[in-house]
Amino acid sequence: MSMNNEREVILSVKHVDVTFGDNKKKPFKAVKDANFDIYRGETFALVGESGSGKTTLGRAIIRINSCSAGEIIFDGERISGKISRQQDRSVIRNIQMIFQDPAASLNERATIEYCVSEGLYNFHLYKNEQDRIAKVDKALEDVGLLPEHKSRYPHEFSGGQRQRVGIARAMIMEPKFIIADEPISALDVSIRAQVLNLMNKLKKEKNLTYLFIAHDLSVVRFIADRIAVIHLGRIVEIAESEVLFKYPVHPYTVSLLSAVPMPDPIIEKQREPIVYTKEEDDPNAAPREMREIRPGHFVYANDEDMKIYLDRLEKMEAFHGE
Amino acid sequence: MNYFKKHMFDKFSLSRDDFGKAPEEITEEAADINEDELFEFAEFDEKKSEIIAAPRYSYWKSVWKTFISSKFTVFVAIFVILIVLFSFIYPKFSDYDPMNAKHINDASHKYLRPSLEHIFGTDNIGEEVFDVVWAGARNSLIISLSATAIDMIIGIIVGAIWGFSKKMDKWMIEIYNVIANVPFLLLAMILSYVLGAGFGPLILTMTVTEWIFVAYFIRTQVMIIRDREYNLASKCLGTSSGVMIVKNILPYMISIIMTYISRQVPMLISYEVFLSYMGLGLGTQYASLGRTISSYKSYMMGYPHLFWIPVAVLAIISISLYIVGQKLADAADPRTHR
Repeated sequence: MSMNNEREVILSVKHVDVTFGDNKKKPFKAVKDANFDIYRGETFALVGESGSGKTTLGRAIIRINSCSAGEIIFDGERISGKISRQQDRSVIRNIQMIFQDPAASLNERATIEYCVSEGLYNFHLYKNEQDRIAKVDKALEDVGLLPEHKSRYPHEFSGGQRQRVGIARAMIMEPKFIIADEPISALDVSIRAQVLNLMNKLKKEKNLTYLFIAHDLSVVRFIADRIAVIHLGRIVEIAESEVLFKYPVHPYTVSLLSAVPMPDPIIEKQREPIVYTKEEDDPNAAPREMREIRPGHFVYANDEDMKIYLDRLEKMEAFHGE
Repeated sequence: MNYFKKHMFDKFSLSRDDFGKAPEEITEEAADINEDELFEFAEFDEKKSEIIAAPRYSYWKSVWKTFISSKFTVFVAIFVILIVLFSFIYPKFSDYDPMNAKHINDASHKYLRPSLEHIFGTDNIGEEVFDVVWAGARNSLIISLSATAIDMIIGIIVGAIWGFSKKMDKWMIEIYNVIANVPFLLLAMILSYVLGAGFGPLILTMTVTEWIFVAYFIRTQVMIIRDREYNLASKCLGTSSGVMIVKNILPYMISIIMTYISRQVPMLISYEVFLSYMGLGLGTQYASLGRTISSYKSYMMGYPHLFWIPVAVLAIISISLYIVGQKLADAADPRTHR
């Protein structure tokens, strides 16, 4: 799995800041110096608590939020900042988004047929009416819905069905890259697996790359190849999924993992949540940056932290017998 | 009780005689039934679980159903239609002409109380009040309906774009501040002096500044739903602002636009009455409810029917139009459907 370096980078986020507010002197930085690559065909998860800036970063990639610094490269082309209209349209075609709340992200006054065809209309991706209807039918079939649903309205569907309409709407554009912004957190627990399996199936069939934004670590472990942990707008650790769960290095990651509930009453009773106190508050600390602690495993640290983290990592490795 | 007992026994294939027997004696008959006949394997079909059993939903059909579901609403709606039709048709057949006082020299035809012959009685110059009122009502309705239509069309178009565009908002709000602070009466007086009294100038008075209030209202409503997630989703699919206004924003606003219209029509009727009453409205060559009320006000004590009948007709038209508008707005709100 450590062949990352040889894999093709599809999306590269380079030193991206996202800033909100008009206050020039003290702007609010929602995302600070985000820096990572996503490889073609992988599922890259962005994990963090509410307000950590994970959605903001996702939206910066799809150009809803603008970056105040840094750049985003997709398929070798810069897609952040000012780009031509043609490029903008190509971004829309190649990058699609699945939204968090299926009830809020579908137009309640439009039929499913219109919701799914919207992208086709905008880019005129069909030869004639028959072709368009055939494409809509196919997209609905791909997500397990029936052609007869076309004339229905979103409020007639269940939450899982609505989310699948949202997926169909994104897939009909034949994108290469999909940003899934907490696609299952608004869904009933009983249908979460259904939607996740569908996403995995579509990924294989259509050779997609996912950026999966979530706060639920158990879900992320199931779906992601690599995970980035984001805290207060700052990415603190990036590693392959299993590595991160086995060898969490940054104290925030450790604390986050300690908060995952265990489906075992005895372990659950003994589980002690580790509270994370923000290190950045220390004004005397040397500036930190992303450093590679093991191949493909990055952590936000300075020299001093690095010693502690290495020590911790070695202990964990010894514990796991490596 | 007997009925229940009988059927209960039938169900378990027991007879009345079995009652009180030991269980092993009873099961003889029951044992004859083969278990395979009772149960069969249900097949699981994923497609079937996706089928929506509820009848198809159609927005306008549901609006109509909700609207006619209340008898009171239907009654008022029919009443409004009849009044409007009557006020448009009746003046064509009556020989009332505000410039021709036919009975002015016939003292026996003046100040008659309402009767079968003279439904609303007659006035100080011997005219049938019934004719005068309906001719006035027609003109008031023509003016208020056309002014409302113009206000709403301009207001909705401008307001939708205004609410949608953050750039436009910056300077539109300044224009709004200026126009909204022009005293309406002053404007009406100037326009009536410059343009004269008539249908055109009166409709102009009611639209020249009024549209911006509609636009401001629509702008605020658009801003509320502009940044909802489904609009973000449309943006991510490359939908242009124009299409988004038509497909995503305006369909959500049918109900509040109806509410606005149902307030606007009666309001403009009373504007017409008010301006005509002040002498700024229609000229003497046109029948007008406002001028009628104004000229009859001095008979309030001596011949109260002259004053109260036009006022009552005005009130009935305004209120019933308002009620129907409100009920339509309610019906147009999908939260009231089913």
